[in-house]
Amino acid sequence: MNGELLLFWVFGLATLIGALFVVAARSPMSSAMSLVATFFFLAGIYVLLWAHAIAVLQVLVYAGAIMVLFLFVIMLLSLAEAEVSAPVLRFSWLVGGASTLGLLAVLGLAISRLPAQPAALGPAQQASFGSLGTLGQIVYTTYLLPFEAVSLLLLVAILGAVVVAKARI
Amino acid sequence: MVPINNYLFLAALLFCVGMFGVMVRRNALVVFMCVELMLNAANLTFLAFARQRGDSVGHVSAFFVIAVAAAEAAIGLAIMIAVFRSRGTLNIEEIKTMKH
Amino acid sequence: MLLSECLQHASLIDCLRQSPVDSESIAQMLWAIIALPLAGAFVSGVFGRMLGRANTNLIACAAVAGSFVLSLLAFWAVNDPRTALLSSFSQDPVRYAVAHDFGTWFAAGTFRVHFGLMVDHLSGVMILVVTGVGFLIHVYSTSYMGHDEGYGRYFAYLNLFIAMMLTLVLADSLPLLFVGWEGVGLCSYLLIGFWYEDAAKAWAGRKAFVVNRIGDFGFLIGMFLLALWVAAFQAQTNNAGGQGRALEQWRIGISQQGPLTFRGLEEAVRRIPPAAAQLRDAVSLDTSVVSGPLKGTTFGQVLLAVLLLFMLGAAGKSAQLPLYVWLPDAMAGPTPVSALIHAATMVTAGVYLFSRVGFLLVLEPTAMAVVALIGAATALYSAVIAFGQDDIKKVLAYSTISQLGFMFMGVGLAVFWAAILHLVTHAFFKACLFLGAGSVMHGNAEETNIKRLGGLRRQMPWTWATFAIATLAITGIVPLSGFFSKDAILHGVHGTDLQGYPWVSNTAWLIGLCAAFCTAFYMVRLYVLVFEGDRSPEARTAKAHESDWPMRLPMVVLAALSVLGVVYGIPLIAPASGGPAQTVMENYLSTVSAVPQQLARIHHTLRQGHESSLLVAWAQAWAIALAGGGLAGFLYLRYFPSRPKLQVPAFARALERWVRHGFYVDQLYYFAIVKPTEFLSYVLYKVVDSFIIDTLIVRGVAWITARSGAALRYLQTGNAQSYAAVMALALLCAAGYAVIQVLK
Repeated sequence: MNGELLLFWVFGLATLIGALFVVAARSPMSSAMSLVATFFFLAGIYVLLWAHAIAVLQVLVYAGAIMVLFLFVIMLLSLAEAEVSAPVLRFSWLVGGASTLGLLAVLGLAISRLPAQPAALGPAQQASFGSLGTLGQIVYTTYLLPFEAVSLLLLVAILGAVVVAKARI
Repeated sequence: MVPINNYLFLAALLFCVGMFGVMVRRNALVVFMCVELMLNAANLTFLAFARQRGDSVGHVSAFFVIAVAAAEAAIGLAIMIAVFRSRGTLNIEEIKTMKH
Repeated sequence: MLLSECLQHASLIDCLRQSPVDSESIAQMLWAIIALPLAGAFVSGVFGRMLGRANTNLIACAAVAGSFVLSLLAFWAVNDPRTALLSSFSQDPVRYAVAHDFGTWFAAGTFRVHFGLMVDHLSGVMILVVTGVGFLIHVYSTSYMGHDEGYGRYFAYLNLFIAMMLTLVLADSLPLLFVGWEGVGLCSYLLIGFWYEDAAKAWAGRKAFVVNRIGDFGFLIGMFLLALWVAAFQAQTNNAGGQGRALEQWRIGISQQGPLTFRGLEEAVRRIPPAAAQLRDAVSLDTSVVSGPLKGTTFGQVLLAVLLLFMLGAAGKSAQLPLYVWLPDAMAGPTPVSALIHAATMVTAGVYLFSRVGFLLVLEPTAMAVVALIGAATALYSAVIAFGQDDIKKVLAYSTISQLGFMFMGVGLAVFWAAILHLVTHAFFKACLFLGAGSVMHGNAEETNIKRLGGLRRQMPWTWATFAIATLAITGIVPLSGFFSKDAILHGVHGTDLQGYPWVSNTAWLIGLCAAFCTAFYMVRLYVLVFEGDRSPEARTAKAHESDWPMRLPMVVLAALSVLGVVYGIPLIAPASGGPAQTVMENYLSTVSAVPQQLARIHHTLRQGHESSLLVAWAQAWAIALAGGGLAGFLYLRYFPSRPKLQVPAFARALERWVRHGFYVDQLYYFAIVKPTEFLSYVLYKVVDSFIIDTLIVRGVAWITARSGAALRYLQTGNAQSYAAVMALALLCAAGYAVIQVLK
């Protein structure tokens, strides 16, 4: 058991517990806070995967912006209280649950057949793998078009959000 | 050395938990949050494979997923506000005008 | 018009033979012969009530009279020695015939049928008989139906019948003949069931139609087979017989006018060399068909099947065994209808058909034997049944069946001219007898039972005189025409030998003699019981009254024609080729029967010679008629009246009951054919139609659709999460499939 493995288990378990809380929590506020926690722990996992830039982006954008937006909406609509409706068993839940378990099994089966070792990286690449510079290098050269498209998408999203949410246009 | 499979298992677990949440929870916001959970599971998968293959293309995919998820969250939440304003509730079971 | 000019350089007879209207104009005007009665039918039927009784009578009679005049002109044109018809089937023009093709009826691929009308000596005689006797009966009907409210309908049907019969006779191809064939069957049904409020009468009409239909089915199948035969012949025949040019001309004619014209069939048959000639590669009757639906059978076998099927059709239409059962029941219709349709015209359609296709008939001795034997058997059989009938119209009905049997006997043994002569004379005297019966019924409050009539000789003198003349004619007493025509058939039958069936002609001749004896007996019995003796105490009215002039005049005319028709039967003309003297009718129809006789000679199917002299045959026939008539006269004038309390032995009474009910054939048909058919139709109705098709299939499909719709409706919940559940399920399946594929 080395340090990396220990960290993986800690962060992994925490992520999983956070995800379970998201699904199981009574009030939307609790779900939102659990999700924030999940995102933080996920960022940790990303770091273990040598994806430092993405980890930072995860914290900045996902946990810092998207979840804040969620919390704004929850508090705006006064939905912080817990749901009071009685638990009910539905047929579609059974189907959903069964297919979830099935999917898990299938994915597990597929994953177990995959090669387990991470690639061996040379020293130069070890230094730059997962860094913001490398990311920027690739995005601004090979994937410039998707980058510009995404920026357009964001513009449209902003406008759309404004238009949809307005009470009167 | 942590085998990459572990990360992939974790991602699969997260994905299934998120999928289950989408199907079961009745509050629309919580459903949305479970969708975000699924997206993150996909991100984790991308990054795990990028580490395994040794190239950074997976990072680019994760980057774009984050951007698009942001846009989606903005619009989705705006829609939910509009729905709440017209129906007074965010309970999915009461928003079914498409019922036969 | 040009008579005076003509008389300057030719004799009177030759000038009279030249028709005033040229044959081209006649040919183009032939459609009017059919159109006039058709128009009369339309006007009478649609506007009869509006026009009133007198006008309707006038229009109907005038239509048929006009048709008669046109027929007369056509007849005159056909007699003109200058008349020649260009046929598309042969290089030489056809003499003594007038024809016109009025255009295509339908064409499908290489098969086509045209509206073509043709008049030659045979159809010329027929159209005169049809329109002439038809006109007389129309005049009679104006008085007979004088108190009936449905006069418009009646004259419409009667005119329609005349039009359809003329179509049948004037047609130059089998399909058009079949149109007339069906049309007369329809009119027969309409007229038999004229008083349809009486259920029994309506059923009689239905029975006639259904039995006719069976015959028509045979005719139709025969026609189809014949079309296939011609097609196979066209494909297979070659120039091996050395007839290249004629064959080419025939092929051209077939492509222009279709395979089923009479002219085309005649030419086709003339291109067949006899089997005995043994020409290599030539197509003869023994050649097998090599391709198509008839593959495997020989041309002769198919031809035999066609002729037997035509006989089935003729048996239905002309009331021969086994399809005669409708004619006695048809007496439910008005008496003029019985006179026209069931004595003079419709029932003779079968005889006409076989005379028309005589060139086909003479090629198959088997078919000829069948036709002749059916005719002979029917003649004797129905003559015996007529012995036991007490209804005046039923006696005449069975008599008609018997006389038709004679005609078929003649046709079967290729004595066509005698059969047609008997057809003509029978039309005259049978129509006269029926009209007389109608007059008797009219004057005795519709009494038809002859046991309750009697002594009408003094009370209805005109009816008596005409009925007596017609009775003498039918029994065959010289010098009336019936004697000559019936004897011509018997003599011709006796002198003909069929190849392969040498016993047929003698058998038919003997049966014919017996039937002639029986004819004399029952007809004289009928006459004596109705007209002679004292008036029966069971009569309905005290005194019978004579009919008025529209009923008397046609009877007188027909009686006169029965006498005058003798002219056609006397051997007056010495033929150019030598041999015994020919009768006028034989000589007249030789233009039509020359081809069949030639074919019979070439193919050695029959031998026509006269074993006994004509005078001996005449003496024999006369003796038989006198014996039969004398026996009946003696029995019913002296023997029975002088023994009023005669004890009839039991077996005689049983026999009489059997004969009166027509040997219970009707009941046999009912149990053997009608009841099983009704049962089958009941089963099909209840099980197949009601249950399987309606309930199981139609309503079942609707039920399944409704229930599946109701079940599928549950999927449309409107609940997004259940949709998501389905999507998850689909995702699982897809992922599983992909993993399995990859892992393989």
